[in-house]
Amino acid sequence: MVLILYSLINTYPLFWMVLNSFKTAKEFSLNPFSLPTVWHWENYKEAWRVAKLGLYFSNSIRVSVLATVLTVLLGALASYFLSRFEFRGKKWVSALFLFGMLIPVHAMLVPMFILMQKLGILNTLWALLFPYIAFNLPITIFILSSFMEAFPRDIEESAVMDGCGVLRIFWSIILPMSRPALATVTILNFINHWNEFAFALVLINRSELKTVPLGLANFAGEYSTNYVVQMAGLTMALLPVVIIYLFLEKYLVKGMTAGAVKG
Amino acid sequence: MHLLHRRRWIVLGLAPALLVYLLFAVFPILQSVYLSFMDWDGLTAMRFIGLGNYIEALQNPTFWNSFKNNLYVVAASVFGQVPIALALALLLNRRIKGAKFFRTAGFLPVVISTVIVSLTWSMVYNTEYGLLNRFLKAVGLGSLAQNWLGDPKWAMLSVCITIIWQFIGLYFIIFLAALQNVPQELYEAAELDGASEWVKTWKITIPMIKETLLVSVILCISGSLRTFDLIYVMTNGGPARATEVMAIYMFNETFSSTRYGYGSAVSVLILAFSLMLIYVASKVFETKTIQEKGERGAV
Repeated sequence: MVLILYSLINTYPLFWMVLNSFKTAKEFSLNPFSLPTVWHWENYKEAWRVAKLGLYFSNSIRVSVLATVLTVLLGALASYFLSRFEFRGKKWVSALFLFGMLIPVHAMLVPMFILMQKLGILNTLWALLFPYIAFNLPITIFILSSFMEAFPRDIEESAVMDGCGVLRIFWSIILPMSRPALATVTILNFINHWNEFAFALVLINRSELKTVPLGLANFAGEYSTNYVVQMAGLTMALLPVVIIYLFLEKYLVKGMTAGAVKG
Repeated sequence: MHLLHRRRWIVLGLAPALLVYLLFAVFPILQSVYLSFMDWDGLTAMRFIGLGNYIEALQNPTFWNSFKNNLYVVAASVFGQVPIALALALLLNRRIKGAKFFRTAGFLPVVISTVIVSLTWSMVYNTEYGLLNRFLKAVGLGSLAQNWLGDPKWAMLSVCITIIWQFIGLYFIIFLAALQNVPQELYEAAELDGASEWVKTWKITIPMIKETLLVSVILCISGSLRTFDLIYVMTNGGPARATEVMAIYMFNETFSSTRYGYGSAVSVLILAFSLMLIYVASKVFETKTIQEKGERGAV
């Protein structure tokens, strides 16, 4: 019973929003709890047009995909050397990356703004790309290197016997073996980048470059009285993440709880 | 074994990640510390004022108001999220029917963008059309309806309830994983001794997952100390600074009044508070347990 109540409280606000997004403004104000009598898709058309959601989606996809690919690639490469090699200063480098998980992002907004201004990339999508990579590398390296560390040492030894080089071992042996952990970090990265708000708020203010969370926040501010259209916009923004979550729940939960235990 | 020591490869392999990380995470922190000793509006020349910004912040009642609000959020999160999540996890751990569904539904708010959560809840709290007030009226409790986000008396509580809602699922799943690691034999032995459910929970389950509980409390503290997105979107610190937490205060001071030096000093204070808490945490129980948890979660 308690659990049913809990899942109801957890999902009902979202359901309520989705249902009402199909109503007319009048129907919503008269009868906010019932199913819509007629399913009004025009709220969606309106939201898509007014909120420029298409534009924001394309910005978000570009930044998130590129940041995810680069974070995972750089992270995997660094994890490989941190977990499978011995060198002086290794502990120091690992600790430096771990430290990154302790930095509260919001304490970085001012210096990041100034840095991007100096680099002359303020108000471009590049300004988001680099902080996204930098702030997700620690958790990515943390998850990947603890996974790679568990592989037995003989793997490289026999590969060296066969004449494989360092990069060859990375690409053809270590990476394929790390597939589950790679899936976890890829999805985790994508969701983190997709949902990110604070950096976008500070570093982007040209409306044609806004990402979905930033665009939505603005749209809601400007369009605050038309609730049904606002709800339609939110529903559309909600959809991709919910779909990813439902299909890849296992990996996402792993990544997020590992990320949560970052202290 | 010569492969393990190829210096050139190691340097080349680590360089890209390290470079991005140093330039875009470590360097800004150092710069933040540097700027915090300056008086600077971003346009005119910087002026060194030593600890001036820090002294100003620590003497400013508005700063302490944001600090107090932040502690309120921390307390609400710790006492709201952890006990509820634990109770739910204990319940789900017993009966398996539909467990998958409850896990999925429970974790859902955690994956949704905070902006969407904030906007959805702003509509829930809406005075005229919001779900909450309409529901209260529908069940005949219309007199309890409030202007949830607009009234300084209620705004903080309303915001905290949304924060609790958003993150219970995270701890719920963490506890569930910990509970499944408690060896079944312990319960069997206790049953032979005729222990009740209640006794088993308090004498076996809770002590066995104590470590996870502590980690979660620390996480919860450091997480809620960082709250920004949700409050920025829902109330932007208002009404009358009733929900202004440190990060919001810092943001408004810096970007509305363009006081980069002062904003940096507040940033450094936020960072210092967070690190202090983490230091206390690692004193309370070894950092090692955190790492082990992470590994288990990652595999």
